[in-house]
Amino acid sequence: MDVSMPSTKNQPSPRRLRNGVSNRLIVAAAFVVAACALPAIVGTNSHLLGIAVRAMLFIALGQAWNVVAGIGGQLSLGHGVFFGVGAYGTAILFNSFGVTPWVGSLIGLLASVAVAGLMGGATFRLRGVYFALATVAISLCLEKLARHFIDITGGDAGLAVRFIGDSLWAAQSRSPLPFFFASLLMVVTYYVLTVWLLRNKFGYQLQAIRDDEEAAAASGVPVFRTKMLGLTLSAAMTALAGALYVQFYLAIDPGAAFGLGQAIQIQLPSLIGGLGTAGGPVLGGAIMIAVSELTNWLSAHTAIHGLDILAYGLILLMVVMFVPGGLLGRARRAA
Amino acid sequence: MSSTTVSLIQAIASGVLVGGVYGLFSIGFSLAFGVMRIVNFAHGELVMLGMYVAYSVYLLTGADPLLAIPIVAIVLAIIGGALYLVVYERFVGKATLQQLLVAIAISMVIQIVLQMIYGPETRGVQSALGSQYLIYGPFFFSYGQISAFVVAVVCVGVLELLLQKTRWGKLIRAVADDPEAAEIVGANSRVVNTIAFAASCCLAGIAGCVLIIYYPVNPGTGMALMPIALIATVIGGLGSIKGAFLGGIICAVLQQLTSTFWSPALQDVPLYVLLLVFLAFFPFGLLGRKTAH
Repeated sequence: MDVSMPSTKNQPSPRRLRNGVSNRLIVAAAFVVAACALPAIVGTNSHLLGIAVRAMLFIALGQAWNVVAGIGGQLSLGHGVFFGVGAYGTAILFNSFGVTPWVGSLIGLLASVAVAGLMGGATFRLRGVYFALATVAISLCLEKLARHFIDITGGDAGLAVRFIGDSLWAAQSRSPLPFFFASLLMVVTYYVLTVWLLRNKFGYQLQAIRDDEEAAAASGVPVFRTKMLGLTLSAAMTALAGALYVQFYLAIDPGAAFGLGQAIQIQLPSLIGGLGTAGGPVLGGAIMIAVSELTNWLSAHTAIHGLDILAYGLILLMVVMFVPGGLLGRARRAA
Repeated sequence: MSSTTVSLIQAIASGVLVGGVYGLFSIGFSLAFGVMRIVNFAHGELVMLGMYVAYSVYLLTGADPLLAIPIVAIVLAIIGGALYLVVYERFVGKATLQQLLVAIAISMVIQIVLQMIYGPETRGVQSALGSQYLIYGPFFFSYGQISAFVVAVVCVGVLELLLQKTRWGKLIRAVADDPEAAEIVGANSRVVNTIAFAASCCLAGIAGCVLIIYYPVNPGTGMALMPIALIATVIGGLGSIKGAFLGGIICAVLQQLTSTFWSPALQDVPLYVLLLVFLAFFPFGLLGRKTAH
């Protein structure tokens, strides 16, 4: 794939660009057609459809993280924060104030963007590992606060969304089918957004900062503004996926929202598939959920719990050590 | 003395006692960073591993965790050396994002394997020291915490002596001080790094041994201790041994004060705030040198 051009100097020629687009179009169209055919094949209320929704939710989260980490080169370990703000925001607004999730998710998105602004302002002076550590601190801090303020968040036990049956207004459904199409739409939209980002000026500026911040600044890239835009865009995408997550599962708790385990699951799709590529999170997310379903099945049959986390840990270890660019990526210079 | 004054003094004194142990494992974290520029995100998990090994020795022989220190120290040093040679060596010298991700992966694996072996429940030992208290006027201190503090101070003293007086210690310090100059004189060898990393894990193990006397362990303990090592190291100055010890004590005192005057559930929140303040405004910490980037 020629999507992960590492620098603005090597722009693909128009001819290669056209070929790249047409190849990608075929793969993407095949994916969408196959996905749309899934409900017809497995039935509209099946367990498999639920798994597909879960897979696409994590693909969408992976795509959102990929914008800031893969394209922008900022290793955020704090994306659970945006996910949690989107999920908790939507759920609290609905439960306590009767706000429809259609509006609640947008408010959650705006709150998440505001948090991203604060986070960026506080941490963008820090590079690489220091930025990552700062985002860990913010994430863990919010987890503690979410566990403490029981009145608002439900504490350790988490928050259950009030279920009122099939309702378009409440964005609730007994069947996974509406969520299947909603998450498919989200994945396709995020994919198109990523492809667009990899080919426009803003995306090139993000990649230039990723590859060499000093050189990018010297070439006139507005470093702070570009990083901030990248982070807020990624935060908005993550929050929206969080809102869809909470509507599908109708529950959220501090660990699932802000925990480090969740942050890792947000990262795995693009790390496995290929950081900074459009197709990477899609492939990686599908692999991750396949592994998770397999290990859950094994856990159920062997009574050994935690096989999924063990598998995630080993996969992360293997990928970073032996395929640092991910399956679809080319090994890039260590950022 | 008013009751507030008593609480204040009690919190600070308990904080110093607990902080000695925090300082002990934070030094291990700082050593790995100072010598090899490795941010060992799995350090908390290694302390927890030390706690579980000490717990196992106690289960099998009934020995007090303090007597298990030599065994745990050796086990953890071997694990540390192996971990360095198999995984971390390829990341030496550059604190890259890949290195951080690998360390996170290792911490996930250690945590889940320990959970598979010991189960998710909290486990503690019946130490004679843990259940007795030294009472002095209105103040009381657990003998477990006092002995843990004493062990920590002794270990830090021995480490300092080894670093100052022995050849390998001097080489380790040379690499930590200035990796490039040390490499020119031939010090940045595989052996120096392996010893330093083994020592780092060894300190984590010893800290785990003394911690289990009064702090029961469950598979989430490592994840609770790692931020403390990180924060203590950043406050003290990344790579500084004395700074990490001081940072550990500051962390514990702050925790105790928050517990006493606000809420025990929120005892870590001021630590995270302090970490962000230091990262943003004082990235070299209290005792770090400006060269430690």
